[in-house]
Amino acid sequence: MAEKPEMDGAEDEDCCSDVSSLLNNGSVVSTVPDRHGFLGGAQYSPDPKRQQAPSVALRREKKWVQMLNDWEKYMSKYYKKVRERCRKGIPVSVRPRAWLYLCGGNLLKEKHSEEKHLLSYDELLKKEGESRWLDDIKKDLHRQFPYHEMFIDQEGYGQKDLYNVLKAYSIFDSSVGYCQAQAPLAAFLLMHMPAEDAFWCLVSICTNYVKGYYKEGMETLQIDGDILFGLLKKVAPNVHKHLKKQKIEPILYMTEWFLCVFTRTLPWSTVLRVWDMFLFEGMKVVFKVGLVLLKLSLGQRSVSSMHKKFPTMCETLEALRNPPLEVMEEDFLVDQVLRLSITDEDFEYEHRRQLARRKASKQAQQQNNKLRAFQ
Amino acid sequence: MGTRDDEYDYLFKVVLIGDSGVGKSNLLSRFTRNEFNLESKSTIGVEFATRSIQVDGKTIKAQIWDTAGQERYRAITSAYYRGAVGALLVYDIAKHLTYENVERWLRELRDHADQNIVIMLVGNKSDLRHLRAVPTDEAKTFAERNSLSFIETSALDSTNVETAFQNILTEIYRIVSQKQIRDPPEGDLIRPQNVEPIDVKPTVNSDSVRKQCCQ
Repeated sequence: MAEKPEMDGAEDEDCCSDVSSLLNNGSVVSTVPDRHGFLGGAQYSPDPKRQQAPSVALRREKKWVQMLNDWEKYMSKYYKKVRERCRKGIPVSVRPRAWLYLCGGNLLKEKHSEEKHLLSYDELLKKEGESRWLDDIKKDLHRQFPYHEMFIDQEGYGQKDLYNVLKAYSIFDSSVGYCQAQAPLAAFLLMHMPAEDAFWCLVSICTNYVKGYYKEGMETLQIDGDILFGLLKKVAPNVHKHLKKQKIEPILYMTEWFLCVFTRTLPWSTVLRVWDMFLFEGMKVVFKVGLVLLKLSLGQRSVSSMHKKFPTMCETLEALRNPPLEVMEEDFLVDQVLRLSITDEDFEYEHRRQLARRKASKQAQQQNNKLRAFQ
Repeated sequence: MGTRDDEYDYLFKVVLIGDSGVGKSNLLSRFTRNEFNLESKSTIGVEFATRSIQVDGKTIKAQIWDTAGQERYRAITSAYYRGAVGALLVYDIAKHLTYENVERWLRELRDHADQNIVIMLVGNKSDLRHLRAVPTDEAKTFAERNSLSFIETSALDSTNVETAFQNILTEIYRIVSQKQIRDPPEGDLIRPQNVEPIDVKPTVNSDSVRKQCCQ
């Protein structure tokens, strides 16, 4: 449990003996958490991680500590170096601080505690909050990572912190309030850092990364679904054709991927690596991971063999809901993401194209409505 | 279940709708896998599962769809309703607000689903007797007034889950098979413009032939 140094071994044992009696629904549940804190469920991975040579691990750690201590300089002068190191994976011991710095959560935290007219995390928590959001939040507290040691106990600190972070967010951004997809993100961040840091990371992610995703209407998500599908044509034309033929809209497979930034999809060690890159490079990483999953979960040698293997929408969606494990293996997936030949220009082009398409179809609809009103 | 998954006479798409936390996902897992999960995750994307049952000697493959109950997700659910021939509108018998919102869900169905969709009102969590907030009679009357069938279930102790799905699938089957006698296939129904027609025809030979009513 290198990521949560405040928990000592004795406490671990205590919590686990409770746990085995709590979970009683036939699923395999361990009494000993895996290295990420999971006791069961899809993301439980008891196998020890492939060990890095201690000298390599130590060297990387040192480099990261050095960078974090001189963050502004590195970000302005050695931008590519930082990116490369994020792609290699951030050492566990420095990851919480690195994530906070990468997304700028530390700056938000400082700004909001220093500037008098802005509310700090503690001040936000003192506010009452809207009951419709608080009710929704309460319903979701035990439904995020139910097999994670932090969130198993209803009275435990995990669920309490989760409530506080989500409540504070609903007050901080009343235009969003609370969207159910924010809970896995908040819970995921809480596994790595104290509540206040997790909150400011969540704010930064919702404002700068998945901007607009959680608002009423979810239009940004829909646009991004179309962009993903547009890019797929370039990356894997056969898969694109197959999905088009079966009339599978992106919203049917990418909603959870994008709204939860893969925290509910990938094996845990892969989630961490994806997030190391995501927080530095942004949404591009989410698109690229999505493209790799689409390409490698469905891709066959020929269109006809794809149709044979996934004859209807059901088989296709099922395959996308459970991508092959070897595809989701951390080193393999990261390598595939980096190999993808999608440029920034491709993203921009597809973005513009989808916006234009949307605008045109909206105008056509308005026109239709007008005509109908006359009839 | 008894039959091979790819052999069936009819494929019916049924959607689960209702407020967040009423137990939609557990109704789905109880019916399709006979599982109940106290530690289930909130649903965020779109999920579905299938199970085949027998009605009048015919094999009916039910494809049950499940999605998030929170209001804002309704903006992205038109694909969810497309092709659905049945809907289980679920509320929690221990949370009155989830029952009050049933009317909003009916409106949602009217706006997005096929006008002939078969709707069943389902009061879930009937095991929570001491916490009941919605009287059975009240819901029953409401259902009658709105021409919905009605049942109370418990995904936790399995009460009526099987019956609920059996009933709605049988009802759909009756309508579909009668319609085939009454109407030639090309004499299709008048439908709202935003939905695609439901395509449920019996297969000539059920051997590995697939019908894609869900598309």
